Amino acid sequence: MPSTLPAVGLYAEQKRLSQATLARWRSWPTTDQQALLTVAQELRLGENHLRDFLDWLEEIVLRDGGSIAAVLQQPAVRRALKLGRSRNDKLKAVKDALRRLRYPEIARLEHELQTCVKALALGPQVRVAFPPAFEGDEVTLEVRVKSAKDLDAVVSRIRQRLTDGTFQRLFELLDEA
Amino acid sequence: MHHYQPQDILIERGEENAPVVRRVLQRLPQLPVRLVDRGSRPSTESLVDPFGAGKKTLLFTRNRSRFLEHCPAGTPGLVCCNYLVVSLISNCPMDCSYCFLQDYLANNPLLTVYTNVDDLLGELAAVVDRQPWKQFRIGTGELSDSLALDPLLGFSAELVPFFAQRDNVLLELKTKTDCVEGLLELDPQGRTVVSWTITPAEITEAEEHGTASFAERLDAARQVERAGYRLGFHFDPLIEYPDWQAGYGRTIERLFSAIDPRHVAWLSLGSLRLTPALRATMRRRFPHTRLLSGEQVRCADGKWRTFQPRRVKMYRTLSRWLRRAAPSVPVYMCMETAPVWEKVFGQAPGCDKDLAHTILSPSLTDPATIDAP
Ligand code: SF4
Repeated sequence: MPSTLPAVGLYAEQKRLSQATLARWRSWPTTDQQALLTVAQELRLGENHLRDFLDWLEEIVLRDGGSIAAVLQQPAVRRALKLGRSRNDKLKAVKDALRRLRYPEIARLEHELQTCVKALALGPQVRVAFPPAFEGDEVTLEVRVKSAKDLDAVVSRIRQRLTDGTFQRLFELLDEA
Repeated sequence: MHHYQPQDILIERGEENAPVVRRVLQRLPQLPVRLVDRGSRPSTESLVDPFGAGKKTLLFTRNRSRFLEHCPAGTPGLVCCNYLVVSLISNCPMDCSYCFLQDYLANNPLLTVYTNVDDLLGELAAVVDRQPWKQFRIGTGELSDSLALDPLLGFSAELVPFFAQRDNVLLELKTKTDCVEGLLELDPQGRTVVSWTITPAEITEAEEHGTASFAERLDAARQVERAGYRLGFHFDPLIEYPDWQAGYGRTIERLFSAIDPRHVAWLSLGSLRLTPALRATMRRRFPHTRLLSGEQVRCADGKWRTFQPRRVKMYRTLSRWLRRAAPSVPVYMCMETAPVWEKVFGQAPGCDKDLAHTILSPSLTDPATIDAP
């Protein structure tokens, strides 16, 4: 049974964490408890964000082995923690980094799709959106134009991308990762 | 596999003389037995693992509501195969880390056996015999394993002959056990399909606690095949893990080197699907399970599944292998959306009836046309 860090208890009290969340955190080896405490204090994590951290960190370690402290020492996480921006930006960056570690395949697909959308070069009038969580099979193209001329330009760009295979590539990516 | 023995038995007052109760008391004369009033149950709440503890007590009671239900896969947005379920048992002696009962029966975990089998058969007869033109597929493996308790309860001896007399209905006994002795002396007349959940051996060992090994399941399948039963195999849940292609490839090869595909009624595929509450329970009860560390996303029905492109890849791979191994056997997916059907099979069934028909038609052919092994 790992011993408990008093500072973890204090933090939980301060943030009114649930007993279940605290018990999970306390079940870790003390080095891991401490590693997350440092991050939690830095990012002022409340119950919901903290629960994401607990889930992802435990799941990464279950899959890859190693320790939670080591995951939090990964360059991508450390880089995000060093960002000199607001607490919210930093929190978002750290969560993004952790999420990429937790879901490498999904992150890879997102990255490839982003690259594909850039390659489409449809301009700022067109927004390309994918089904949430990649469920479903529809890609949404949102076009915002002020004139028929604008629309014509957008449509011809889209047609060009259809003929050169860039759209095809995008659908293939979605079809089978 | 190790066969189930409860630690104690509770009998609701008035059910002492039910045939199934007598059978069990005869088979387990040494166990402590208590009579309880209707509705009263010992609480397992204060225990560390109330759900696990509930499995150790066998409770006999009457089912006072309907037995026949629509399978819960009939959720809006999902393609459904019109499957009906009846439950004579609630909870299961085995303990798979992904089992939805952990969450579904969290407040009612005692291993409960319904004594009024006659009522169930009466209800079934009323529905099935009144519509002789309609085909039904009915399973008992929804709230428990269909056969795990059969050596104790002997329910199959009552169910199989009932279905054997009817042309428009198939019984499916779904199991992860090798408890088939009770089936071997019965004549199913082609109306009972015994089916097994199939996962690669390494997953069975790590995640399906207390179940029969793959080799034991295969051996049991061969025994019932020889006894004239149709077989079914469910690759459900499909588990995504680093070596899944090799694991499932090996498994399918072994399966069809042992089983004659002509005796297989259906094959199904289904993704691992976990509600958020089930994920939390799994984390607590099985902290070392690796099933939560796959690339899963929350779908429109609130359940977590392997993300779609990966899931589709698994479905396509397995359906290709299964079709190669058993070209004439229907393969279907459980709890999937029409877009996923289209991606995997090129089309989604027009309606639930279409799918039910595809699954049932080859299975309801005259049993005399089944070749003897
Ligand atoms: S065999 Fe089925 S019912 Fe029993 S624990 Fe496993 S998943 Fe649940």
